[in-house]
Amino acid sequence: MFRRLLLLAIALCAHPAQAQVPGADQVHAITLDNGMQIIIWPDHDIPNVALYNWVRVGSRNEVPGITGLAHFFEHMMFNGTTTRPPGEFDRVLEANGARNNAFTSNDVTVYQDWFPRSALETVFELEADRLRNLAFDPDVIESERGVVHSERRLRVDDNQAGRLMEQVQATAFLAHPYGIPTIGWPSDILAWTIDDLKAFFATYYAPNNCTLVLVGDVDVQETIALARKYFGSIPANDPPPAVRTEEPPQLGERRVNVSAPAQTPLVQIAYHALAASDEKVPALELLSRILTDGDASRLHRHLVEDHKLAISVESFVDAGFDPGLFWLMASLPAGGDTAAVEAALDSQLQRIIEQGVSEQELARARSQELASFWRSMATINGKAEALGSYAVLQGDHQRLFTAPAAYEQVTVKDIQQLAASVLNRNNRTVGTLTPPAADSEGQP
Amino acid sequence: MSQFTLKTSTIGLQTLLNVTLLCAALISLVVPTQSDAAGPDIRVPSYERVQLDNGAVLLLMERSDVPLIAFNAVIRGGALTDTAGAEGTASVLAGLLEKGAGKRDAAAFAEAVADVGGQIRTGASTESITVSGSFLSRDANLMVELLADVLQRPQLDAGQFASLRDRYIEFIRAAKDSNRSALTGIYGNAVLYGQHPYGRAVDGSEASLAKLQHATVRSYYQDQVGADRLILAVAGDFKTAEMKQALQRAFSGWRKAGAELPKIAPPASTGKPRVVLIDAPDAVQSYFWAADIGVARNDPRRATLDVVNTLFGGSFTSMLNSELRVRTGLSYGASSNFDRLSVGGAWVMSSFTRTETTIEAIDLALATLDTLHQDELPVEQLQSGQRYVLGQFPLGLETAAQWASQLASLAFYDLPDSYIQGYGAALQAVTPAQARQAITEAVPRSNRLTLVVIGKAEAIRKDLAKYGPVTEMKLSDPSFQPPAR
Repeated sequence: MFRRLLLLAIALCAHPAQAQVPGADQVHAITLDNGMQIIIWPDHDIPNVALYNWVRVGSRNEVPGITGLAHFFEHMMFNGTTTRPPGEFDRVLEANGARNNAFTSNDVTVYQDWFPRSALETVFELEADRLRNLAFDPDVIESERGVVHSERRLRVDDNQAGRLMEQVQATAFLAHPYGIPTIGWPSDILAWTIDDLKAFFATYYAPNNCTLVLVGDVDVQETIALARKYFGSIPANDPPPAVRTEEPPQLGERRVNVSAPAQTPLVQIAYHALAASDEKVPALELLSRILTDGDASRLHRHLVEDHKLAISVESFVDAGFDPGLFWLMASLPAGGDTAAVEAALDSQLQRIIEQGVSEQELARARSQELASFWRSMATINGKAEALGSYAVLQGDHQRLFTAPAAYEQVTVKDIQQLAASVLNRNNRTVGTLTPPAADSEGQP
Repeated sequence: MSQFTLKTSTIGLQTLLNVTLLCAALISLVVPTQSDAAGPDIRVPSYERVQLDNGAVLLLMERSDVPLIAFNAVIRGGALTDTAGAEGTASVLAGLLEKGAGKRDAAAFAEAVADVGGQIRTGASTESITVSGSFLSRDANLMVELLADVLQRPQLDAGQFASLRDRYIEFIRAAKDSNRSALTGIYGNAVLYGQHPYGRAVDGSEASLAKLQHATVRSYYQDQVGADRLILAVAGDFKTAEMKQALQRAFSGWRKAGAELPKIAPPASTGKPRVVLIDAPDAVQSYFWAADIGVARNDPRRATLDVVNTLFGGSFTSMLNSELRVRTGLSYGASSNFDRLSVGGAWVMSSFTRTETTIEAIDLALATLDTLHQDELPVEQLQSGQRYVLGQFPLGLETAAQWASQLASLAFYDLPDSYIQGYGAALQAVTPAQARQAITEAVPRSNRLTLVVIGKAEAIRKDLAKYGPVTEMKLSDPSFQPPAR
């Protein structure tokens, strides 16, 4: 259910023999006069194109009253412009053989199109139209409110793992907006107004806040010409206000228990960790693999195989513009003991803090990164996602090609030091989800 | 939430018990097909087919864009060959294959895979067990060794069996807590297919798994797994001659399966509407699934059916999603598909909505199906469906892993390469009259559907009776099979 976040899965690493990632010289990047970044990577394996438009706005840019608005916007961007009625965007795209989707995170809202090369200009025209001319029809807004609420019920209210994660995240942040759930609190989903939407659009949806990535069967000069033709005349806007708030250092462990009629208890632990641009991210990614990637990983072996305390254990690094969380998540068998899982996790993490990891484990994690990297580079979609992620969250798409070195350079000592600084009891929020009869077990 | 939220997400009917339940290539969902306005020009890259004396089929395709080799090994049988009452045998066996094989115990095996960043995934589906994955091309020899061990020399250790079986039980419980939309089809197939083997819960139920014996899994391996059941497709960065030699050496000595593959009759529809209500007292949303018996994989109307399904419930602008999501805001998503297996299959539509609008949403889904049957076909939308399927087709034929999966699928269903190469032309040739005929013949009427709803029974029980005789169970019941009425 909770897989590694797509964006963050594109952490890289390489074996020395394959440290050269081909393609760096094929990628073309320009910035239009209005500040819009365009990145193009031709790849002619199949006659298709993947387009990602990364808008630098997410739930991090929200405040109480409008939580979930960035995500709601993601939905509204499909719902009509002043030149095209609601539904036309999807109709025209599909009629041209194109599929589209979008996602929202704490940090970004990303619009995706996958299409045959013949649809290139149509896609440019439609993408530019909705950036320039988005319409706000009150009836459409009301209808879409219902859709988003249904999505929330699916992912959170009827999903115990999603419920707990929302609570842990909200508890982990006292000040920084990373505590806001991207889907939005229910009362805000029901209450935001058309004026909220208009203000949000005017603030964040400007070309200078977007990075457009195209990978696939395209000609670079033709694509640049189309970008100029359709996006070039959209006026730039003032840069959106910076997120000023920094999360103050955590002063002690926080705990949250969700009492729910679930059969299988859950434990989730979130540590304050790193921003995406932090040079220690590769070490944290490798540590995460050592802990939970595959049946040979430390926590899987200890908790799932040897002691049967959990049925699955996962971890992931959530790193964005600002320092995010490092997550550990365990699902327990029915009647499972959350306190025993916590104790087992603690002892395993303490071992790493005290004794570090072995060279062999580090080499294994690097191999896993390398193979994972090549799997993502096998598709135009994977490349578009990776380029955009590096360009937007780390500030330079070329880091896609130099990242292998960063993973090569991580040492066992780096990992031990990082474990000691991040995996610290006072730096964490512990969440448990337990059935009503067993609530007391979830408490310290 | 820190995880992303999406504009749309596929409602997985058969995933997320943490096990790969179906070989991707064997599900023909809405997926794909095509190229430009200029015309479909998808070619199947050249590949070699070798049949060993023991019956094993090897398929090899070179693809060198990234330094990876992908494989897809399919063993005929799957849940079809589970014995009655022992549902989940094939699935547990599939999981057990990689829990120790050859000279490596489970821990050593997992380390050998992880050390080189390899991936081996095993899982069962209704008609097969699949072992798939990929390795860096520099590790080709190890890949062949591990794959041969998994298939031919699994240790099938008793302790590993017991812990895996227990975990599978817990995965089902976890899905009941956190992934209800994925469960409707499991309940649904049990009712729709009745005693037919297509109705078996592929991963078993809490009840069947609790009774499953180690000896049953061991005999399954002896009887139902062997060279004559194997299709092994390998695609990626290798030289065919070398890979062929390595695979021949690794697999030519394998025995055949102990039993004959059973012949099964096509499933038949009762033609009568039925309702199964699964009570989830804490649910705030109702998850519904409606189906009838459908067509087989080799149905000659395939392109027409794909276009028809795209029009009705296979894309964002489809009739079903337009009504339930775009026009009314009742749901985050609604979709339909033909689930096409060897001798038959199902036509399915599914969606979800808040408890209070359950009946409104089901009524609307059924009315939309009636519209499909009664109203004039929107020709423009039909053409859009053709172009959409065509436009997306190459995206499913991009990677070595996709080709391995496609090749295995063609061999499994005994389909010619023209199933891929001729698909574009077949799509473009679909006429409105053919579409109308396919709808009449292959898409069920709304008054004969098996309807499954997971939701808060207290609030919806009474109103569901109008759709047919209602059988009720609890989400916490350990079986997916409704009690006999």
